[in-house]
Amino acid sequence: MNKRYLLLAGIIIALGVGILFMPAKDAAKQTQPELLLAAIDDPSRFLSTDDITDRLVKKDPALMLIDIRPVAQFKAFSIPGAINIPVDSLLSLSAQEMLNQKEMDKVFYSNADVTSDQAWIICKRMKLLRIYVMQGGVNRWFSTIVKAEKPTETATAKALELYQFRIAACQHFYGSSEMAAIPNAVVEKKGVTVVKKASGAKSGGGC
Amino acid sequence: MAKNKRDGTFYINPYLGGVLLGLVLFSTYYITGRGLGASGAVKSSVVSAVHTVAPVHAEANKYYSKFLSDDASPMSNWLVFEVMGVIVGGFLSGTLYGRLKFKVEHSPKITGKTRLIAALTGGILFGVGSQFARGCTSGAALSGMAVLSASGIITMMAIFGSAYLFSWIFKKLWI
Amino acid sequence: MVGPLIPMGVIPETWNNVIALLLGVGFGFALEASGFSSSRKIMGTFFGYDFVVLRVFFTAAITAMTGIFYFDYMGWMDMSMLYINPYYVMSAIIGGIIMGFGFALGGFCPGTSFTGVAIGKIDAMFFSGGLFIGVFIFSELYPLFQGLYNSHNLGGAKIYDLLGMRDTVFAFLLIVAAVAMFYGAAFVEKKVNKVEY
Repeated sequence: MNKRYLLLAGIIIALGVGILFMPAKDAAKQTQPELLLAAIDDPSRFLSTDDITDRLVKKDPALMLIDIRPVAQFKAFSIPGAINIPVDSLLSLSAQEMLNQKEMDKVFYSNADVTSDQAWIICKRMKLLRIYVMQGGVNRWFSTIVKAEKPTETATAKALELYQFRIAACQHFYGSSEMAAIPNAVVEKKGVTVVKKASGAKSGGGC
Repeated sequence: MAKNKRDGTFYINPYLGGVLLGLVLFSTYYITGRGLGASGAVKSSVVSAVHTVAPVHAEANKYYSKFLSDDASPMSNWLVFEVMGVIVGGFLSGTLYGRLKFKVEHSPKITGKTRLIAALTGGILFGVGSQFARGCTSGAALSGMAVLSASGIITMMAIFGSAYLFSWIFKKLWI
Repeated sequence: MVGPLIPMGVIPETWNNVIALLLGVGFGFALEASGFSSSRKIMGTFFGYDFVVLRVFFTAAITAMTGIFYFDYMGWMDMSMLYINPYYVMSAIIGGIIMGFGFALGGFCPGTSFTGVAIGKIDAMFFSGGLFIGVFIFSELYPLFQGLYNSHNLGGAKIYDLLGMRDTVFAFLLIVAAVAMFYGAAFVEKKVNKVEY
């Protein structure tokens, strides 16, 4: 028997004994805390309202905009094209089926950031891919798109261009005649329902 | 041994070969999340060939149509490129060790023609079997063993078990 | 960099084909250099005159497995994201037996036959041609096999779950079994007459 082979056999068996002493893995298929922390640190999970607007206007088929506020708030006002998955039903079977569509970019929003970010973390732990948060939520949507602030005279060309884009997008969503009526109705969270049918709601299930 | 490296009879130590192959397999898992494969490439070329010649027929057939959908294609392409690499790699090794030569390798007890018929039949059977088992020796058995999948280990035992049995029946073909 | 890299989105998918080609080159080189381009060398495993297949196959399997286990343990790779072939009980066994029959007649398996083709083995070319015909036959007759093909689906089952043991225990036993087989192979090889090929 060749001594080198005995050495090799010894090495692989020692490695095998090492495997034997590895701790049992968490049966739940969840992301490890370290990975989750690293993912939370990564700002690329945030998308701006302008990005979302742009993709909505272009009717990007890979965009799934998810309103995670309660149904009543969703009905009172929502971003056109969004679907509603209230955060407390995030784990329901139908919601999971919806979120499991690998080819879609799932973008959460709530009124501000906190709830949508919580939903994001839950989904991240469940190892869903391509999930994002629309930064600033409905509040920022309002201040940037619906009530876009007119830049001052001295503003850069870029800022002006952005403003034009926001105005155009707003008209695209709400039509110029209705525009005047929206803000009040929404701020008071009652009255005129300007919500269009949630056209973005794809028939559930990827295949 | 070293002085005759190029006369075609030199093979690397099987354990070295095994570790090399194991590292390639491990890298494949580390990079792509899937194992190696060979029969999958044959399948996707057959599917696309039939689809080109007779598109209506291919779409009507339940087996072809499974692999014609859009989300199935990237992975099958992957295997086609991988198999092209296998041929390149085999050619490199054959060049390095001086084994490039057109020939029919057969036992002295049979003719070259018998060998070719047996090889063709064996290939047909392997083609059919690999579809049943959803992979061949590389795709199902080897890759499956590395991740301890049940299908991999069962398929491996079925292949080698029955090959052991049948090889004694066809002993004359070999020794 | 936590693997698997492509599913985790570390490497863009456009690199897929380049990576496939490079890994294939490594695969082909390892097979050919070990002697898998020769059907008579491969068949030596079944007659006891050359156990190269057994050695290479099991060394490769335990090397890759050990690597995966350690990378998973160190947190460099997520084992649960690796693709597991679904286990259809009947289909896997019957497919394996048919392949074994083909193996005994043809002396190659698909991967090794491609390396044989690469160095000009005409029998390997016939075998590879046969593969295409075989896949074609299966596809055309698929309606006949459909029931069998889809029966007893256990999904991406793991062998240690079916045996009711921990994955680490099974991995250790597999390594020990492989080493024992290597020892046994060397023993048998000494007893069996050499076959010239």
